[in-house]
Amino acid sequence: MTNYVTWARVKSPWVLHFNSGACNGCDIEIVALLTPKYDVERFGVKLEPSPRHADVLLVTGCVTQQCAERLKRVYDQMPQPKFVVAIGACACSGGVFEGDYNVVGGVDKILPVNAYIPGCPPRPEAIIDGVVKLLNALNPPKQKKQPKQEKKPQLPKEEPKTIFTQPEVVVASSEAKPVIEETKKPDVK
Amino acid sequence: MSNSKIDIVSVIESKLRDKVQIQLGQLGTAAVSTSNGLHRDVLLVMAEADEKTTITAITGLDLGSNLGVLYHIRTSNAFITIHAEVPKDNPKIQTITDIIPGAVFSELEVSDLFGVIFEGNLLSGHFVLSEYWPEGVYPLRKNVKPTEVKLNPPPEEIKQPADKNIVKIIIGPQHPALLEPEKFAVTVDGEIVTKVEPRIGYVHRGIEKASESRTYVQDVYLVERICGICNACHAYGFVAAVEKILKTDVPPRAKYLRVVALELNRLHSHLLTLGHAGLEIGYETLFQYFWRDREPIMDLIELTSGNRVYASLMTIGGVRRDLKDTDIPKIKTTLEALRKKLPFYRQLYEHEPTIKARMQNVGILKREDAIKLGVVGPVARGSGYDFDVRKDDPYEAYGEIPFKEIVYTTGDTWARMNVRMDEVEESINIIQYAVDHLPKGPFRVVVPRNVPVGEAVSRNEAPRGELFYYVRGNGTANPERVKVRTPTFANIPSFLKTAIGENIADVPPNFVSLDPCFSCTDR
Repeated sequence: MTNYVTWARVKSPWVLHFNSGACNGCDIEIVALLTPKYDVERFGVKLEPSPRHADVLLVTGCVTQQCAERLKRVYDQMPQPKFVVAIGACACSGGVFEGDYNVVGGVDKILPVNAYIPGCPPRPEAIIDGVVKLLNALNPPKQKKQPKQEKKPQLPKEEPKTIFTQPEVVVASSEAKPVIEETKKPDVK
Repeated sequence: MSNSKIDIVSVIESKLRDKVQIQLGQLGTAAVSTSNGLHRDVLLVMAEADEKTTITAITGLDLGSNLGVLYHIRTSNAFITIHAEVPKDNPKIQTITDIIPGAVFSELEVSDLFGVIFEGNLLSGHFVLSEYWPEGVYPLRKNVKPTEVKLNPPPEEIKQPADKNIVKIIIGPQHPALLEPEKFAVTVDGEIVTKVEPRIGYVHRGIEKASESRTYVQDVYLVERICGICNACHAYGFVAAVEKILKTDVPPRAKYLRVVALELNRLHSHLLTLGHAGLEIGYETLFQYFWRDREPIMDLIELTSGNRVYASLMTIGGVRRDLKDTDIPKIKTTLEALRKKLPFYRQLYEHEPTIKARMQNVGILKREDAIKLGVVGPVARGSGYDFDVRKDDPYEAYGEIPFKEIVYTTGDTWARMNVRMDEVEESINIIQYAVDHLPKGPFRVVVPRNVPVGEAVSRNEAPRGELFYYVRGNGTANPERVKVRTPTFANIPSFLKTAIGENIADVPPNFVSLDPCFSCTDR
């Protein structure tokens, strides 16, 4: 059953986009992803307006004081299991707005983040790269070890257990690279 | 400004000779210094002399023991700054909303960020700051340190008894129709909208304060990040104001290259909005078509600046990159390909029943209201209010390039979208003329790092309308104050007027026809 759910999720992740204080740069690039040139719908990715139907939360922009509470509320409305992708330098760390009077910081101060896609804004190719890596991490190929990752966000302890394990954190590079390079096979004896 | 019919400065001089001081050429056409509430008298004189008198922005200033309030007023052929001061311990000043209703939001913003109390303004409360913001802390005053502000804890929710006859529909902060988090509480009677209450500030990042702690060069990149769509216009507005303080002349080649960058910006922004309007009326095919045709323009921006979204082309004293002669044919063929597609879209707007039914006679804004509310850009030009900074106050190479000012008179959603459609073609013409007539020579001059004491304003026509910058230098490498008034900020009051009395289903197309950009509005 778990395998079946994972299969369905990997083949068709529904994403919800939340702008927590972004400059529109990343947001427009996310919309550009859905349009003919990049067309992520071929990976089954669908932009879903309601948090109650979404699997993946795409957050853009640094978190402002007003949005922090709303962001948490939107996250709470999403059904388990759920994943958060921070898109853009501001969402990853606060970016140029770190330390301003109305800015809390990066998304990981509010929510557990599963994948970071840096860039100002990241190119659509980089976002596709990040989403594909997240999907690969959801469904790791059998008999292959996942390479260890450098960054790990601190997940809150009260996070309820998911049906299957949370994916490893993936850090997509701002330049899109083929996925194969990143997931090299460990030496098999 | 040469073809002036009314000389507003001499009108003010003749009527208020002994009471005000006039400095010609300062902060626009002239700066008028007033005291003791005389700013209202100056405004009344101007409003009487010129029917097109309206507000662009109100700038707050921290001047030590006093707070400065600058009213930036535009008329049909001049740009006047009225200077008033209030003491910090009793910061009260008379409102101007009875003369110019469009000033209501500007006054609210200054009272939120500086603590100036505008007596007579009917609205109150936090406008851009969080509702939990501490009392008596005004972030743009110099004594407030950004990292030391502590917010109040959220109060317990008070449930108000609901009136059964009134239904309030909350649009936002997270809403499928809005790409950005903003809240509009729409009160409806049946299906007819009776009241719209906006709550902006979800994207307020405090960029004006942040720019005071960075150098001028860093600020160019910071103000670009106010908005990801019209970033070139923001960078241009800032560098133009700084160049005025420095009294730097930009080389002619840089002027033309700036025009190319600004017009590419306008092209991709208008195509984006035209597509977005299709999405809002349930015509997704149109959305996909427009966004398909927008991608080649993004490629051109990448070709000329090296980056898809943030061009970072403007710099103080010129532009950062030259345009290669070998790139010009590519630019021309791409633009010609876009031009060939325009008749198809125009025919769609003329004859497609879906578009006509959802857009014609929706959100009508009359010309008188447009002027009073101080709307800008395609919203103003769709209502027959011929205001285009490129024509009225030409900057860079716009004075030398022939182009048409697009004006529609019906004032509905359809007219506003058609203004954008026609401007796409004008932009193509401007870019082609600019690359054909590109002067030879340097594209940048070296400027000093420290900017002298002084102040300047700059205006430019961003895709959404007049974008206003005020920069005040204090002799160091950091600015003393940077004020930004973005076009959407000026256009939102018109939505509050046009939405009332219309069907609730017409709210999205009407709203999108303003081309709202909240990251601009909130800064």
